[in-house]
Amino acid sequence: MTVLNVAEQGIRYLRACLDLYSENCAFPALYFAALIFLCAKGSERDKRIFLPGGVVLLLTVYNPLSPVILMHFFDVNSEYYRFFWITPAIVLVPYVATNIITQQKDVKQKIAIGALIAVLFVFSGNFLYANGYQKAENIYKMPPELMEVSSIIHENSDTEYTKAFLEYDYNMQMRQYDPKILLTIDREDYLYATSADYTQEMLHDPEHPQYRMLAALIKFDPVDPADFTDALETSNTEFVVVNKTHRMIPYLKQAGLYQVGETKERAVFKYDLKDPYVFELVDYTAVY
Amino acid sequence: MQILTAALGVIAHFIIYLSFGSLLTKRKEGELQLSLSLVVGFFAYYSLFFFVCIPVMKMYRPLSLLTAVWVPVVAMIVLCAVIFCAGSWVAKGRSILQSIRRHPLPAAILFAILAVQIVIVTTSYNFTLDASYYVAGVATNVDTNMINVYDPFTGAWQDHFEMRYFFATYPVSDAVVCQLTGIPALVQTKTVMATVVILLTNLVYYMIAKLLFEEKGHGTVLMLGFICLMNLFFITMFTPSLFLFTRTYEGKAIVGNLSVMTILYFFILLVKDRKVRLYWLLLFLVCFGSTTVSSTANMLIPAEVSILFLPDIILKKRFRQLLPYAACILPGILLALAFVAYVKGYFVFYTYPRW
Repeated sequence: MTVLNVAEQGIRYLRACLDLYSENCAFPALYFAALIFLCAKGSERDKRIFLPGGVVLLLTVYNPLSPVILMHFFDVNSEYYRFFWITPAIVLVPYVATNIITQQKDVKQKIAIGALIAVLFVFSGNFLYANGYQKAENIYKMPPELMEVSSIIHENSDTEYTKAFLEYDYNMQMRQYDPKILLTIDREDYLYATSADYTQEMLHDPEHPQYRMLAALIKFDPVDPADFTDALETSNTEFVVVNKTHRMIPYLKQAGLYQVGETKERAVFKYDLKDPYVFELVDYTAVY
Repeated sequence: MQILTAALGVIAHFIIYLSFGSLLTKRKEGELQLSLSLVVGFFAYYSLFFFVCIPVMKMYRPLSLLTAVWVPVVAMIVLCAVIFCAGSWVAKGRSILQSIRRHPLPAAILFAILAVQIVIVTTSYNFTLDASYYVAGVATNVDTNMINVYDPFTGAWQDHFEMRYFFATYPVSDAVVCQLTGIPALVQTKTVMATVVILLTNLVYYMIAKLLFEEKGHGTVLMLGFICLMNLFFITMFTPSLFLFTRTYEGKAIVGNLSVMTILYFFILLVKDRKVRLYWLLLFLVCFGSTTVSSTANMLIPAEVSILFLPDIILKKRFRQLLPYAACILPGILLALAFVAYVKGYFVFYTYPRW
């Protein structure tokens, strides 16, 4: 929840956080409805199990002052929503629902109320596959093309480990499948590139050559091909993998890269480093 | 072949958890509580692994050394469990089979509920950013034969350990399994452990439902059906249900579902039954084990234990229970403070010796 900030929103933070957490799901509301039901009709045992915790939850986790107070000790901006996980909605709501059904004496009534509750659940929330179900194409749960790209890179590399610039989705997945491919861009740099702009100072920062690569290939900022090549040299990047329809492909060729392979949708470009870099694992044998 | 390996992997994990749990929960009188043994065994396994893993990692020793130390420990515990508990397992297995024969319809519904969820987590493709750390971390540890020394995102060497993840040794255990068996990190995390977590989480739901309905089978099955339905529809980017189905490989998914529910189970157990000492001991293991699974537990578990147990302790004036309560929240608080101290620059653990 990086969009929310306790310092800016103060006691309004909790409401905003809860809205984001539950979106249009009514289950948190159903939890409190179930608590009220227990108050009225629950057994002593059930009240003892669920009510004190529910009240304390309201006074603490669901208290608008809590995030403001906690912020004095910990940065809870992006993680306060995890306290909502303590709410035992996933147990209490189905428990009360089941009790309501089992208390009916007539079977037809049981079935009718059961169906009503099921419909209520369905319309109270968002279905896991509301946006469609995507079946994994292999047991690795990786796009087959990513696996092909990995093979192409290794076939065209002279070293065990090689460094590559990949587009966002492959960058986030490649090392799960193939840890021998080192990545030029880390997660934070990519998240920055997708949400903010590069200043001239950043583009000329010798410590962070990756900024130039992201500016050129992700933001489509004008970066001199020589500066781009310098970024490849400085960061020891040998491979650049982009979509075949990527508008900067002519730019890559102009910067001296050449295509060594392709898949259905991706093109793999190689850059010959002037001083080929061999990545070696740190030798710890001297330590022990 | 990979599917068969994954299935065997799930079975092997359950045998190991059952062994750990059986040794902890078995009593001379009464039959073995199979579900409780499995769930407690899970947390006991990762609690013990923590104490073996941390020194090896802190002293920059290779993953293979950790594997070489850990495997005999596990083998010894499984052997002890077989010697002392095999009879109970067989008896319990028979009693479960008899129960299934007596109540085939509820059993079939339960299996169907489980099957749906297992199919969801094992066959769907989900693109999640955090996998680029957790799953790649396992793959990197196996590939480099080191423990958390290289950055999972890029593969670059890190000069110090990232303290946010240092004490959460759960993914390192996955790396040990991968190194030992040759199972790829992606299969171990996204298929084997995802299935294990789904099964254990549902087992805890089952245990809670059984407690609440006091063994009335139909109520239990119906409640489990509603829980499954609710999990399938309580989906936003932040809910534990989403983590359970799409990010099952993450420690956060385990803490947000399995740990939170197991603590609730123990709370209900302690409200109903007063075999206080054993339950508090097992609860402590769950709390401590959770902190070794994900750093999210450091704030979540003390908060949950406090919200559930403190009112009961105060209302019933059971002030003696303040001591075990404090023990349960202490690991999370200590690790949270350690992280704050790291962020404030009071200490750092380097990945190489500084003489």
